[in-house]
Amino acid sequence: MNGFSLAWRSVIRKPIKSVLLFVTVFTISLLLLSGMSSGKATIQMQDHTRQAVGAGLLLEENEADRHRRIDKLSEQLAHNEGSLGGYHQEKVIINGVESWRTWTDNFFETLLVEDIEKIADTEGIADYNITTVTTAARPVDFVRIEDVDVDQYNDIGGVSLVGNKDMSMDSNFLSGNAFITDGRMIREDEKDVCVISAELADKNQLDIGCSIRFGNCRNKEDSMTYEAQVVGIYQVNQPIVPYMFGDTYRSENIIFTDLDFPEKVDGKAGDPLYEKAYFKIADVNEYETVKIRVMGADIAWERYDLIDNNGNMNTLSANFNEMEKYSNILVGVISGASLIILFLIFQFWMKSRNREIGIMLSMGTSKIRILAQVMTEALMIAALAVLISFLAAPGVSGLTADYLVEQQIQNVKEQELMNEGKVAFSYEKSEQNVVGVRAEITSGMLMQDASGIALLIIISVCVSYFAILKKNPKDILQEL
Amino acid sequence: MILEARNVEYVYKSQKERKVLDNISFQFEEKKFYTIIGASGAGKTTFLSLLAGLDSPTEGTVLYEGEDILTKGLNYHRKNHVSLVFQEYNLIDYLTTEENVRLGGTDKPEELLSKVNIAQEAWKRNVMKLSGGQQQRAAIARALASNAKVLLADEPTGKLDEPTAVESIAVLKRTAHELGKCVIVVTHSKYLANEADEIVQIADGIIVP
Repeated sequence: MNGFSLAWRSVIRKPIKSVLLFVTVFTISLLLLSGMSSGKATIQMQDHTRQAVGAGLLLEENEADRHRRIDKLSEQLAHNEGSLGGYHQEKVIINGVESWRTWTDNFFETLLVEDIEKIADTEGIADYNITTVTTAARPVDFVRIEDVDVDQYNDIGGVSLVGNKDMSMDSNFLSGNAFITDGRMIREDEKDVCVISAELADKNQLDIGCSIRFGNCRNKEDSMTYEAQVVGIYQVNQPIVPYMFGDTYRSENIIFTDLDFPEKVDGKAGDPLYEKAYFKIADVNEYETVKIRVMGADIAWERYDLIDNNGNMNTLSANFNEMEKYSNILVGVISGASLIILFLIFQFWMKSRNREIGIMLSMGTSKIRILAQVMTEALMIAALAVLISFLAAPGVSGLTADYLVEQQIQNVKEQELMNEGKVAFSYEKSEQNVVGVRAEITSGMLMQDASGIALLIIISVCVSYFAILKKNPKDILQEL
Repeated sequence: MILEARNVEYVYKSQKERKVLDNISFQFEEKKFYTIIGASGAGKTTFLSLLAGLDSPTEGTVLYEGEDILTKGLNYHRKNHVSLVFQEYNLIDYLTTEENVRLGGTDKPEELLSKVNIAQEAWKRNVMKLSGGQQQRAAIARALASNAKVLLADEPTGKLDEPTAVESIAVLKRTAHELGKCVIVVTHSKYLANEADEIVQIADGIIVP
């Protein structure tokens, strides 16, 4: 009778020990899978303040990931002055007190063109647009629109430049809020051209074909100026929501340019800061299918928010407060506790099988072969438990992820209540609501779960068996 | 001569001053039925354990067919040279009678089970459901299943009623005389001792001449 036959008979005919291990491994496997899938869950959010227009998808930077990247680079630089990946830090002494000044540049903040192009290559995407961040520029040979009743001391005295790869897909024009009253939009291949507001054109007596000059608004020592030809004049139905406070960013002072113009004026030619990318879907009837395809693009999604035309976006748990951290802690705690529980179970197994081990040894069976038999039994039961847990995991993982998200939301609400009136926000917070949680079990997770449990069992069996290995058969048989 | 104890000494590791066996030498032959007798604590079971290769002597050697059993290893000795029968039967509790015998190393357990007079309806039953006498006979059948030339038994009739004990002794005797094995039995039973071809008496760790 070979070891496998013996192991099989032991599993079947000693049901209490088998069921005990089965239930334990099943529970461990479920919890591990739930923890892992929660850590990689996709939280479906809705943000009505940010939504793509028409049959399109909008790509923006994810704020949580931005903070995490800053923290990581800051940690890498430690207490040293320097720059890393577009993040900079320097020591400053103010009134004899040492403090740190930190900032990021365009290289750090911009949407990555290679990622945008990967999404644009997705089947079902007809075209795409890139929009630069709103860039302040100094008007050189024209005057801007100002509110006469407002003290301009704190304003930088500029106008706003918004560059587009394809102006027709700028959100203001796509939504119909802005429209061309004279001239035309900027074409994709054009350079050094602009479209100004009707108010600015009136105030400066500007017409199609005129050129206007801009200078660097922030660096007063930069005397370079850049000329752009006016190719169109626009009007809006509702004023465009300003990027920041002050007349520099007021709706009438927004000037649309070609994609590269803002970075030149800002003195950062070749170092653009792209804020949004819009992807036009070819067939509106395939909107959801294309959206799913886009989400499958091979890019670092934790860096971005992909927003659809309902304001829905999928946030990875890594970007959802402490979700990923809690999931990782959960997996760690489960693994540690499992090792202890499995060790105790196998101690019980070994003690209850002392006689059998003694008999086998007295018959000349080697200790390694006995260990192999016990291991085979344990792995047989574990394999069945893990397989069944795979079937139950999707449901349980969903519940776990829901619970963790709910806890996170509760924590944030409690924190907000505590901070009420104490913390001032310099920006209007977007209103995001969780509308769903999707915790998927991937084949990678199944592999990790199965191999993790196999490892836990192998360690537990070997450690439990160690006490037996030290004894000779006479001692074992005398204990009986 | 098949098995030999040569100048064997055994001291319990936990009781260093106490010699359980003191310079014992004895030769066992095939086709013979031996009994080892002696008072409790005399060292009978320890001597049997050393012959079985369940432990090794503190001093001296145990030889099988003239070769020290340590040369090939105690595990090899237990697997190939000897088979064991215990007072507690020591059967595997989750196997049937037939499977327990099969474990001894035979593909035809039926013959052996018939030989030790276990009824056919008990063959497929869990071995723990048999009576004490049947379990002991199953243990003997398992020992006979091996090709080992030496059968060692420790108090094989200790837990049996008299008629069953007599039956078991008969089986052991037949094993020696008909199968040609060397059968060595540790016992307190005078009846069993008297059935032996040769009696080895141990007292205070030495063989009494």
